[in-house]
Amino acid sequence: MKNSKKILCLALAVVMLACAFVSCGNQGKKSGDSYTANNTTFVIGLSGPLTGGASQYGIAVENAAKLAVEEINANGGLFGIQFSLISYDDQHDPSRVATGYANMLEQGMQVSLGCVTSGPCAEFKALSKEDNVFFITPSGSNDEIPSESNGYQMCFADGNQGKAAALYVNENFAGKTIGVLYTSGDNYSEGIYNQFTENLNSSVTVVSASFTEGATDFSSQINTLKNCEFIFLPIYYTPASQFMIQANGAENNMKVYYGCDGLDGIDAIEGFDINSIPQEVSYLSHFNSAATEGASGEFVKKYTTKYGEAPSQFAAGAYDCVYAIYEAMKAIGEDKLSVTMSASDLCDLLTAQFDGDFTFSGATGTDMKWNRAETGYGYVEKAATKYVVKTAD
Amino acid sequence: MKALKKIKWQHYIAYAAIIIFLIVCSFFKISRTNLYIFEKIAIAIILATSLSFVVGFLGELSLGHAGFMCIGAYIGGKFASIIVEQLGNGLPALILSVLVGGLCAAAAGFIIGLPALRLKGDYLAIVTLAFGQIVMVLFQNSSRASFGGAFGLDTPRYGYKSLYVIAFVFALLTIAAFQNIIRSKHGRAITAIRDNEIAARATGINVTKYKLLAFVISAFFAGVAGVLYSYTQSKVQSVNFDYNYSIEILVMVVLGGMGSLNGSIFAAALITILNEKLATILTGNLAVLQNLFYALILILIVIYSNAPALNSFREKYNLRRLFTRKSTAADFARDKDDEGSWARVPTKIKMDEVLSLDLDAKDAYTPDKPDKPDQAESNRKGEKHNG
Amino acid sequence: MEFISILINGLSLGGVYALIALGYTMVYGIAKMLNFAHGDIIMVGGYTIYVFFTMTGHPLLAIAAACVMCVVLGVVMEKLAYKPLRGASPLAVLITAIGVSYLLQSVAQMLYGSAPKTVIIANFGVVTVGSFSISIASLLILAASALIMTVLTLFIKFSKVGRAMIAVSEDRGAAQLMGVNVNGIITVTFLIGSFLAAVAGAFYLLKYPSISNTMGSMPGIKAFTAAVIGGIGSIPGAMLGGLLLGVIECLFNAFPAIAPYTDAIEFALLILLLLVRPNGILGKKRREKV
Repeated sequence: MKNSKKILCLALAVVMLACAFVSCGNQGKKSGDSYTANNTTFVIGLSGPLTGGASQYGIAVENAAKLAVEEINANGGLFGIQFSLISYDDQHDPSRVATGYANMLEQGMQVSLGCVTSGPCAEFKALSKEDNVFFITPSGSNDEIPSESNGYQMCFADGNQGKAAALYVNENFAGKTIGVLYTSGDNYSEGIYNQFTENLNSSVTVVSASFTEGATDFSSQINTLKNCEFIFLPIYYTPASQFMIQANGAENNMKVYYGCDGLDGIDAIEGFDINSIPQEVSYLSHFNSAATEGASGEFVKKYTTKYGEAPSQFAAGAYDCVYAIYEAMKAIGEDKLSVTMSASDLCDLLTAQFDGDFTFSGATGTDMKWNRAETGYGYVEKAATKYVVKTAD
Repeated sequence: MKALKKIKWQHYIAYAAIIIFLIVCSFFKISRTNLYIFEKIAIAIILATSLSFVVGFLGELSLGHAGFMCIGAYIGGKFASIIVEQLGNGLPALILSVLVGGLCAAAAGFIIGLPALRLKGDYLAIVTLAFGQIVMVLFQNSSRASFGGAFGLDTPRYGYKSLYVIAFVFALLTIAAFQNIIRSKHGRAITAIRDNEIAARATGINVTKYKLLAFVISAFFAGVAGVLYSYTQSKVQSVNFDYNYSIEILVMVVLGGMGSLNGSIFAAALITILNEKLATILTGNLAVLQNLFYALILILIVIYSNAPALNSFREKYNLRRLFTRKSTAADFARDKDDEGSWARVPTKIKMDEVLSLDLDAKDAYTPDKPDKPDQAESNRKGEKHNG
Repeated sequence: MEFISILINGLSLGGVYALIALGYTMVYGIAKMLNFAHGDIIMVGGYTIYVFFTMTGHPLLAIAAACVMCVVLGVVMEKLAYKPLRGASPLAVLITAIGVSYLLQSVAQMLYGSAPKTVIIANFGVVTVGSFSISIASLLILAASALIMTVLTLFIKFSKVGRAMIAVSEDRGAAQLMGVNVNGIITVTFLIGSFLAAVAGAFYLLKYPSISNTMGSMPGIKAFTAAVIGGIGSIPGAMLGGLLLGVIECLFNAFPAIAPYTDAIEFALLILLLLVRPNGILGKKRREKV
């Protein structure tokens, strides 16, 4: 017994030593691995929830990104080089992002759309910073996501949505009382809520109610908010639909429901008829899914023909992300690009473009700019519109 | 050589496997994806062995293991994020944070264990489940300055090239700790409580003390796993620690066989690899198959290894017997403490039956010289190693 | 006045919890096992209602179909997963039940996806009394669950099967010796429990018209908490616990500052109560026989 313990101790000591060596050895090595040496196309990576509860976001984004890549390739690619899209299913779980990210790097990812949802995207941000991989996320809207020099957003950041909504309320509801329903313990909802209340004029009185994620009973929230005509809903569409239905079955004076991009998709819930809600339902958006004209109209047509359903603003964002990358790379010029260039080199070139005077017009807006010099963040600057899902009865 | 023969291979196979694995790894260039998977495997091993100790050896079901991990991840992660400013993001900071996180989880284990262990079986299961939910809700609604609340807690991330080695060393230490506890007199007391609580109490074992001890140790290592987890992430988000995660750990323990540390270790590695690999193979609608598969495995394994109707079948086609080729007599002499004999663990509800068997009329009561239980223990131990 | 509408809301939610809790407590009392998959029977009921309601558009027919479906499922579940384990350690049965719960959830996800669906089976509107308004659905649920609980209590007290159930729960061996078909009684218990779960599922949908594959787990855990608070194995205990939990939940949800912590408070209450009364409010003290 004593001998065996000695053997064990010895073995553990050996492992400890080995551990020390491994860590020392690795620190000496250069961290950049040449995963892209065998690329024959420019590889775009995308991580998103393709299965599970948030899968509708991931699938929409993947579909639209695919559509954009196919279009670019059909038109001859960039300087004769084709693009390819690789995607990884992160299941909306931040702890899965690292493996997915490494997996995509090993497959030659040179530029990325980041993650579809904010939680995993926060993880993606940290990982991609280490390797200096450029990403522009179509829908990861948390304020902190584009905080590093390699990250950009195509969607509005939560805080900016809260600010925009506050401006809208200041303009239209000065001196009145409005209601807010938000999800406590949810970074999206609280992020918007905090900025919204901070930017409100003091003349507007706010009645707030909150619920926790997964809540089903909204009776007390409805009770709190029942006398407000305007209800701001910085929440996702599933609880929002539940709130609306339950409010419908209770006495209230609510007239307008106004939300953020989380409400996108509220008219597509199976079994939920938006027209059964008497109130006006609208949300802040950068995209009009009912558009028939212009770049957005064209995108809606293409997407609907290919996938048989109208695109959400996340799909439109993804479509624009791919095209923004494409345009920016085009602006960099053929002589500086090569198909086997490393993600880090490409990132330096792309950030120079995005931080410079590069502008982009697509399905989600015209003359978009990313003004990092001013804010320090890769937030997008473009016009926000109020998208009305249904008017009041 | 003679000394080597005495070593029971079951007790060292796990160390050997991990050490050989680490040595092999240091010679080859491992892809980054696999390094991340290795980190997860090591963490899963720590979690599974620590839960296995409570479920398989103490015989109490804990459904709040993710809660202890959550405490470790948050408090250890917070501590780490403060201490790296002084010490730099290196091994000393990591070890200190692991200790802090583990101790906090152990303290939580003590606080929850004190009332909870007065309860039994199903009650304990539901209380630990409730505990896990409470911890999650509290961290989720904490203020942004304290634990990040909804936004998650920013924690330092350790370099992925060496973190897996560190994680595996911690896994080794965990296994060593549990192996030693289980084979110590404390471990025997704990398995005695599992086998028959009333009889254990009657022999003078301080049941509450040992239950609490097992619970606290298990919580400590869950906390350690939590801190290591926080080091693999740049943000700790409480949604990861819901009760589904506790159940995932439980699946590892059940798949590995109750009361078998080696089994838990193997199952932890297997399930972690499957989780990662199946995610890339099964996409879209097929992804559900993975959960379906786990659910079926859980049901079938438990029914196979526990159904009273299958007792004779199990005796006949015992895997262990097929491999060891030893006679039945040797089976009885075998060291029983590390064996998947969960099926034979009598329930605490059927206590009366078990005891009535012990008090057979033939076994007349013959008063012995009062022997201190400790001494008896060490005597028996001595016999085994000499003989 | 607001307090009254909160109270009625809470009582109707409590009625739903109580119906689910009854299933837990009866199965626990008679089969001596914790049927962790009980909450998921609600989910199966919900999906059955969804399928039949979209097919026929008839709410009562859909509810009837859900009851049949749940009863069949409950009995099949008992025969396939739990019966082989009769006499095995309770730990083994509990883990199997967790497995069954996962199985049901993943089958539902495979068939209908994980995106939540909305099912509005009926909209009763509100009734206004003086200055406050109460949803009619809540009142209906409250009345219906009170009726069901009364019928159940009478059934168990006075029918032959009901008394056999009490006998089995008190001493399975002795009941068997007296000629009670224990296996049959356990099947009947599962049958009644699943029926109650189906009804509870329908009520739940009436209040919160959304279904998803995990919709049953939270009400399931809450109802189990209610059963334990009331004293598991005790039928009036389950009712009391359910109502109590429902009222507490609605009451705490009404205060925005406390609302996020409601779940934590409910579970903390469970732990505290078990400390003071390890057998719940109305539970009998189970003595360990030696």
